[in-house]
Amino acid sequence: MGRHVGIVGVGQTHHARRRTDVSQAGLVREAVDRALADAKLSMEDIDTVVVATGPVLFAAVNQPEKWVVDAIGAQGKSVVRLTSGGGAGFAGALAGYYQVAGGFSERTLVVAYDKLSEGQLQYSISTLYDPFWGREFAVGIMGFSAAYWRARMDVLGHTEEAAAMVAAKNRKNAIANPYAHVKKEVSVEDVLNSKPLCWPIKLLDVPPISDGAAAIVLSSEKMAHHSTSRPAWIRGMAYCCEADNAPERSLMLSEPLAIASRQVYRAAGITNPRRQFDVVEVQEPYSCFELNYYESLGLCPPGQAAELMASGATQLDGDIPVNPSGGCMGANPIGAVGVIRLIEAATQVMGKNESHQIKDAKTALVQSGGGWANLRGCAVLSA
Amino acid sequence: MFSAPDSYPIDLPTFHSEINLPYTLTPGRAAGTFLAEVKNRRIVASRFASGQVVAPAQDFSSTGGEEPEAFVEAPHTGVLTAFTRVDGQVIGFIRLDGCDNDFPHRILAELDDLSIGQRVEAAWDDSVEQSILAVKGFKPAPDAPLGTVKPLETMEEPLGVIPYAMKLDYEHAYGPYYGRMFDEIRENGRFMGVRSPGSDVALLPPREIDDVAHSRTGTWKACEDTGTIRGCSIINMEVYGQTRKVPYVYAEIVLDGASTRMIHVIEIDSLEEAKEKIKPGTRVRAVWTQGERKGRVSDIERFEVIEE
Amino acid sequence: MALSKVGVVATAQTEFRPAWNNAQHIDLISSVVTSVFKGSGLTIDDVDFIIDSGSDVLDGRSISNCGFLGALGAHHKEEARVEEDGLWAALYGVNKIRSGSSSVGLIVAYSKPSESNVDLYWNAQVEPFYQRPVGFGQRAANGILAQRYLAESGLSRRDLADLVAERWAAAATSGKVAIDDLPDADAVLAAEEGAAPLTELMFARPVDGAVAVLIAREDIARRVSRNPAFITGMGTSMDTHSLAAREAGRLSSAATAAATAAAMAYRNAGWASADADIAEISGSSVIGELLAIEALGLAEAGKGLSAARDGKVAINRSGGALPADPIMATGLVRLAEASRQLSQPELFGGGAPRRAIVHGAGGVAMQNNCVFTLEV
Repeated sequence: MGRHVGIVGVGQTHHARRRTDVSQAGLVREAVDRALADAKLSMEDIDTVVVATGPVLFAAVNQPEKWVVDAIGAQGKSVVRLTSGGGAGFAGALAGYYQVAGGFSERTLVVAYDKLSEGQLQYSISTLYDPFWGREFAVGIMGFSAAYWRARMDVLGHTEEAAAMVAAKNRKNAIANPYAHVKKEVSVEDVLNSKPLCWPIKLLDVPPISDGAAAIVLSSEKMAHHSTSRPAWIRGMAYCCEADNAPERSLMLSEPLAIASRQVYRAAGITNPRRQFDVVEVQEPYSCFELNYYESLGLCPPGQAAELMASGATQLDGDIPVNPSGGCMGANPIGAVGVIRLIEAATQVMGKNESHQIKDAKTALVQSGGGWANLRGCAVLSA
Repeated sequence: MFSAPDSYPIDLPTFHSEINLPYTLTPGRAAGTFLAEVKNRRIVASRFASGQVVAPAQDFSSTGGEEPEAFVEAPHTGVLTAFTRVDGQVIGFIRLDGCDNDFPHRILAELDDLSIGQRVEAAWDDSVEQSILAVKGFKPAPDAPLGTVKPLETMEEPLGVIPYAMKLDYEHAYGPYYGRMFDEIRENGRFMGVRSPGSDVALLPPREIDDVAHSRTGTWKACEDTGTIRGCSIINMEVYGQTRKVPYVYAEIVLDGASTRMIHVIEIDSLEEAKEKIKPGTRVRAVWTQGERKGRVSDIERFEVIEE
Repeated sequence: MALSKVGVVATAQTEFRPAWNNAQHIDLISSVVTSVFKGSGLTIDDVDFIIDSGSDVLDGRSISNCGFLGALGAHHKEEARVEEDGLWAALYGVNKIRSGSSSVGLIVAYSKPSESNVDLYWNAQVEPFYQRPVGFGQRAANGILAQRYLAESGLSRRDLADLVAERWAAAATSGKVAIDDLPDADAVLAAEEGAAPLTELMFARPVDGAVAVLIAREDIARRVSRNPAFITGMGTSMDTHSLAAREAGRLSSAATAAATAAAMAYRNAGWASADADIAEISGSSVIGELLAIEALGLAEAGKGLSAARDGKVAINRSGGALPADPIMATGLVRLAEASRQLSQPELFGGGAPRRAIVHGAGGVAMQNNCVFTLEV
């Protein structure tokens, strides 16, 4: 590998169902100001900027980075935008990582956002489908996601309860997260009894719709000390895909995530993920996905996610807490979520997490993804 | 290299698709205040710490991203600094008196009558609110006295949201593979795919290059209009743009003879019944629409469960 | 620290047509992804990652890469979508190889503007409260630039038309661009108004097509390619969104961002614009091309025309973007064209060109700029 890259500053907005006091560009500015302040830097110190958002149809601005650039005072700098649906923030961070690792930049600001209150979320996501082939029957990706959860339940003998436990865990964890906007404890029964939206997905399996932005400053090893004595080093990071209509696509496991994790674990020297990670942050657009990730990331053997969940191991006080921040259940500004997960994991290994600091956390795993559940990646961070 | 002939003698049909969405955009404090104030015929501008005044008001400086220290009222007069004409409409850059920036707006005059530096004045359209188009445009005003920037003591609350609509129309090319598939649906009421490399099962929809092996696909093959559900869920929520009444089943179906999924719907009477009766592995059959087929997936009205 | 060199191993392009109405996006994409390996000895299995460029708004799909992954050859590989001109996708790919994590990457960009309304694509890029409602967009921006450029350079509209006609003639010679009627300068002047004082033919013509560029670590490039061109410098810069602010107090709008990007690339490469033999430049209009030529240091301000037509550096021998602008792919096409001219000079009238400048742009009035230096 090339140069070491660390996260040396983080910032996110106080996410909300709807922010009517700031424009999309103003929302981005808030996160950028906080990340720069956290890194003890100003925009002058930044070489390159990566902007990441969900699809254009979320908010009706095509190539919005060209508008946003003014709001963050990045005129004249290298600015580029990455998209990858829900994984946009993570994909943007990965592009930023390579800008530093490849020597193009010493310090890169990655900012990701979505202001979902401004558009029609499910319809926008439905346009992911081929216009010739299936778009007219699409319900965002909720119909699709529920379908493959159902398939997993049938094959593995899992129950709806396993995902309900994920929802209850994450919703409870979100209460202590100062940036979350849904903070209400619910029981597993509440989740099971909530209204079926796309059965087996029910109302409380679904994260909120949010306005929010998140930013991180990535730095080379040489410059990192200007910002912090304890950066969160990126030990490995990858994002893989699979063709959306490939035959035999079972989605029992997420193959792109399994491929990415193998690659990342090799780079980071991870041989026993369950034992070596102190904390995990995953992007769970619906509660059921978290179960799939447990298996795809090797936190448990294939097919045993429900047992892992039931064992309590992924609870705050378990041996491998997953989403102490509350994950997407506390706030879900889709394009920003990849960066939010990186922030929550980075602050854990930097020892300054604001929701639930896991004691002595040294190594953290981050998962993110988007598209049709076919774009999936992960990263390993350590102090 | 792609093997379609270089030119076709006739205009090929295209597949029309449209994306038509309503939005509620938040302008932010500066634009929100500007858009709220146009009903009072006031042009709100931003004054920055440097003393520069920028109209219409901005939350962030276009040159360095600084935030303004105050909103002020700009005059309705200024000069034309550049102009062009697009589709018959003259668009120019205007610099309002006492301001330090140019901004684009419509110019209400013939192109040939304009010159750079000439005085212009805002023309208001009282029928428009909450839009920059409350100023219909700027018209030549050779004798307009020089205006001045004034402090803004009181101002309207900034608008939190303004309605917006985006409509995008597409005419998608079918290409040779989708073209044949939809022709076959229309003419013969059957689904034709192409064989995966080295296999007898068909990819549906068909394509020249296999997604997984990235090698050329094989010959055409007719698939049945019966198949097996690979994945399904019960849609029980209403969303914008939905074409069917809830509840119904969203189903990913692998037609007999094919290996890849087709997305369609199955009508149901009740949610509870569907949970039991419709699941991965369930056998289904297409119910074709009555009347003339159009060569679209919706020539199949729905799928229904094959009772064992 | 000197950055390692990354080689352009092979390139492939479809023909660029006003409308590929007998092909879908995936047909064009899989065509170039299949073709690019010919003669290289490499296959898709050797590719570590794919970076692609395209526009959801032009494609009429959200996360449109998601539906094209199979055609891109990306199945079970690392893939990224850069929603900017393809030259930025190449920049990402070069960084990835320089980091040491990968050896071979495939960069793909494509465009089918014939399927949608290009004016709406541009209009949707401008800020939605002040500029979009008044109809300010790509055409108006270029019209305003042209008015100022003509006034300050003393050039006439016929001068512009002469350059446009030359660019179309060059593209016709290249055989890569579908041209039914080759316009002469009179035809350029007689075309419908695009944005006064520019006619439609003075704007870059949107075309459908795709391009793939295979890049690799230096040792691999030398092994598999006879005379590979190496990417030795890269720079990018985005200007303010406000065209008026860009314009304030200076002649050329592209100057700041394009000049900043170029300075960065030249610094990496260790040479200056005058040392180049060829340049491939993107322009959203004939004025855009002239402004870019000047910003890249190939001519003084207002003097771009003579450099464009017969300067020491041969500019846009391919015809450039004016006759063929596959929006989102145009800059990557420039990279492909420049690398071919360096690697296979015998196809371009001989000589021994050693250095090339490649320029890509994005946004209304070329708000974003990217410059590469190439060497053999």
